[in-house]
Amino acid sequence: MNIVACVKQVPDTEALIKVKPDGSGIEEGGIKWVMNPYDEFGVEEALKLKEKLGGEVTVVSVGPARTMETIRTALAMGAEKGIHIDDPALYNADAYTTANALAAAIKEIPYDIIFCGQRAIDGDMGQVGSILAELLDIPQCTIVTKLDVGDGKATAVKPIEGAQLVLETSLPCVITAQKGLNEPRYASLPGIMKAKKKPVDVKNAAALGISVEPKAKIEKMTPPPARPPGKIIEGEDPAAKAAEVIRLLREEAKVI
Amino acid sequence: MAHGAKHVYTVGNEGREVFWNAPYELILFAFTAVAMAIFAYGLYRRWQLWKAIGKPEDRTDNAGARIQSLISNGLFQIKTFRDVYPGIMHALIFFGFFVLIFGAAIDATQFHIGLPFFHGSFYLWFSLIMEIFGLAVLLGVVIAVYRRYIEKPDRLGYMGTPDNTADDAIVLTLIGSIIVTGFLIEALRLYVNVNVDGFTWGMWSFVGYALSKTLTGIGYDTARVLHKWMWWIHTFIVLGFIAYIPWSRLLHIITSPANQYMMSLKPKGYLEPIGDFETAESFGVGQLEDFTWKQIFDSEACTRCGRCQDGCPAYLSGKPLSPKKVIQDLKTYWLERAPVVLAAQKAAPEGEEPQIPEPEKLMVGEVIDLHELWACTNCMYCIEHCPVCIEHVPKIVGMRQYKVLMEADFAPELQLTYRNMENNSNPWGIGAHLRQDWAPELGVKTLAEDANVEYLFYVGCSGSFDDRGKKVAVALAKILKEAGVSFGVLGAEEGCCGDSAMRGGNEYLYQILAQTNIEVMSGYGVKKIICMCPHGYNALKKDYPHFGGNYEVYHHTEILADLIAQGRITFKKSVEGLFTYHDSCFLGRYNDVYDQPRNALKAIPGLNLVEMDRSYAKSFCCGAGGARMWMEEDIGERINDMRTDQAIAVNAGTIAVGCPFCLTMMADGIKDREKEESMDALDIAEIVWNAMGIEEAAEEAPSGEAPPAEETSEAEAPKEEPSE
Ligand code: SF4
Ligand code: SF4
Repeated sequence: MNIVACVKQVPDTEALIKVKPDGSGIEEGGIKWVMNPYDEFGVEEALKLKEKLGGEVTVVSVGPARTMETIRTALAMGAEKGIHIDDPALYNADAYTTANALAAAIKEIPYDIIFCGQRAIDGDMGQVGSILAELLDIPQCTIVTKLDVGDGKATAVKPIEGAQLVLETSLPCVITAQKGLNEPRYASLPGIMKAKKKPVDVKNAAALGISVEPKAKIEKMTPPPARPPGKIIEGEDPAAKAAEVIRLLREEAKVI
Repeated sequence: MAHGAKHVYTVGNEGREVFWNAPYELILFAFTAVAMAIFAYGLYRRWQLWKAIGKPEDRTDNAGARIQSLISNGLFQIKTFRDVYPGIMHALIFFGFFVLIFGAAIDATQFHIGLPFFHGSFYLWFSLIMEIFGLAVLLGVVIAVYRRYIEKPDRLGYMGTPDNTADDAIVLTLIGSIIVTGFLIEALRLYVNVNVDGFTWGMWSFVGYALSKTLTGIGYDTARVLHKWMWWIHTFIVLGFIAYIPWSRLLHIITSPANQYMMSLKPKGYLEPIGDFETAESFGVGQLEDFTWKQIFDSEACTRCGRCQDGCPAYLSGKPLSPKKVIQDLKTYWLERAPVVLAAQKAAPEGEEPQIPEPEKLMVGEVIDLHELWACTNCMYCIEHCPVCIEHVPKIVGMRQYKVLMEADFAPELQLTYRNMENNSNPWGIGAHLRQDWAPELGVKTLAEDANVEYLFYVGCSGSFDDRGKKVAVALAKILKEAGVSFGVLGAEEGCCGDSAMRGGNEYLYQILAQTNIEVMSGYGVKKIICMCPHGYNALKKDYPHFGGNYEVYHHTEILADLIAQGRITFKKSVEGLFTYHDSCFLGRYNDVYDQPRNALKAIPGLNLVEMDRSYAKSFCCGAGGARMWMEEDIGERINDMRTDQAIAVNAGTIAVGCPFCLTMMADGIKDREKEESMDALDIAEIVWNAMGIEEAAEEAPSGEAPPAEETSEAEAPKEEPSE
């Protein structure tokens, strides 16, 4: 079975995010970069599938040179090879352009199933997986928490408000992974060492023959407003304090 | 030769005809030769097995220190005596046997060659001494039988089931009957000798003499025949004993002293760093073959005495781990595997790799259950108290390394901890950039701002990120400032020390963390370091030198005790209530820092210090070491609650600690036991700062239920000797 896992490198959830003064993006200095946690679920599911049915896992990622680390992380977990799409024109690509680049790279290799994270924790668009499926003209199951693959089809569970859908689709297809799908493995040390020698193809936009023109552009980034400090209502008389709380909720917070 | 002749004993010519009715020298020699051959073959066979499996390791360097260990632990039984009751039991048998063997040798020499001094008062004293030590052995055996079969202490078993074997009974019977038959021979001899003219010194052999007095009614000729028989029985048992040594627990007569001689001379708690990650093919210990021969030999020295189990927090809290069981299970497994491996090695043609059949059982996972493996807190109790210097912890960590590095198969919560350490250099995974935010108001300078300081205060993860730990860091920083100590911190450049990674088997992550810290510290030319966490203290002091980080490292209680002794810290307030000090394993057993924390506490006016039952080297772990801090504790009782109970038992109002992990554990224990109203856990730095009375105690130190500090008129700190 030919399995593809798409990964994105994102800032660690705990990293200190500072918006550049000109609002064009974030300051990258001092940031610890990690694999998007939802993509990790995808990689883990790809590896499990390979272990069950045999085959090969290829990781594909779009991003600058540092992205190689994240590809190596997936290789250390057990993927066989990687494709690194590295083109300065794609560094701040929107969901469509990213999916387009991924689609172009994936079209060049055999694939039976493609995993993506359901969204990336940096841009939070949640679109790449779906656009990728459209561009490849294959079915998709999104936000999947349970997956069964066999006999040329995939059965996926997708939670929705108050219920869950059980979806069945033919292969090839795109699955976007949600938390709960699995527990991503910790890479073994031989895995880490071997990953250093596994093949990774580095390609740019020209080699893939794709347009880098985005459909959507980030106009400006601004940090969220600082949270105002909490207020402690002083006083001895509980009734007076309660009255003050009501007054503040009504007049200042305007929530009641 | 003296036998056969009729002797006349006169005063001044005391002596004996040891073998006067046993003139069968050839038969005796033949049997002795057989016994010796069985002994020698058994030992040779064992020797081959010892050599069959295991990586090389040098344990013969520095003979001086090794002989010292042999003398103190072997000859003088120092570690055995640490537990008085079984210590005395063993000493009676050990010293008794030691003397009796020399006595028997003198006896035999006298018989075969003749010793000119074997008469007169020498002989009388000799008789008396032999008598006393014979009795000692007998008493020892009686105690041993009583202990093992009637008293049945838990340590001579596992989880309430005694682990007695037939071997135990055979050995005790052998020893007991050697002594009893010895006394009987003597009694018969004395019984007959009483009739000889001038024989008056029988009382020197008081046991035999007393026994001989009970023999009335036996004819002297019968007594002679009985003597002959008894002598042969005695001799046979002795020869049987010798032949039995290599095939039984008696082997420890050889292996235990050997192990004491080959004890680790490395710093306590030492773990051999993994040398080469790039080229090695396997990491940690997955099979017997991954141990060194010495690690396997350890299990041959184990006497199943159970001392290690007796203070193991994992075992005592009902987890499946017992250090004794680990060693014994490894021994059983080795005894299954070693003959197979040896046979394969012998069968292999010269210069070819032997075809060794795959083991039927997994060592890590089946022989040693994973719940056992992961229950260890690395508290060092087992190593510290094993009388024969067995090293349990490196084996456990080695097997953990295998699970973590090779198979990446370990607790999910620990995986998360390691990811956090990888991504944010702290186990909680709090943003690394927040590391310097523990006390912005104190204005402690970083080395980047001013590297010209005497000490680096290595705050560590708890002091930097944990709310409770931060308060300790603040108290310590304030004390240091007040005492005029010149120090700085690394701020956001500081990283996790890596202790939890190392002890949890993730040596790779540990080395990355260690190297990152060393680079930063050495970059600033750091020479002296103060740690407020014993885990960092131990790692920086003893493990960082492997990677080129050589610093003078102190724990804050050492610094505090010193500053108090120098008069640079003075106390304006006195404290009330009962305090108890909980020894952190990584401070006490790992680094022998027992007195400094106590000295610091005792210097505080009014402070009443009481010891818990288990303290100093026998202290009971809080449960957080060996990466257990980050793992669920879902089997048995909670170790921290048990320790809290021990503090409650001595009515302590405050549990004083020197470790942020212990602090968390004790605080949780107090909560679990619903004692928040009457008890508190505090770090020594907090207690000291509080008593310095610089700020209003109520406002500043998080003293909770600590006794209200009252102003006393010029309370003088008692001057203590500096303890370093
Ligand atoms: S180190 Fe402590 S917890 Fe681990 S086996 Fe030894 S005594 Fe038990
Ligand atoms: S390992 Fe040491 S302390 Fe434990 S049972 Fe064996 S000899 Fe006794």
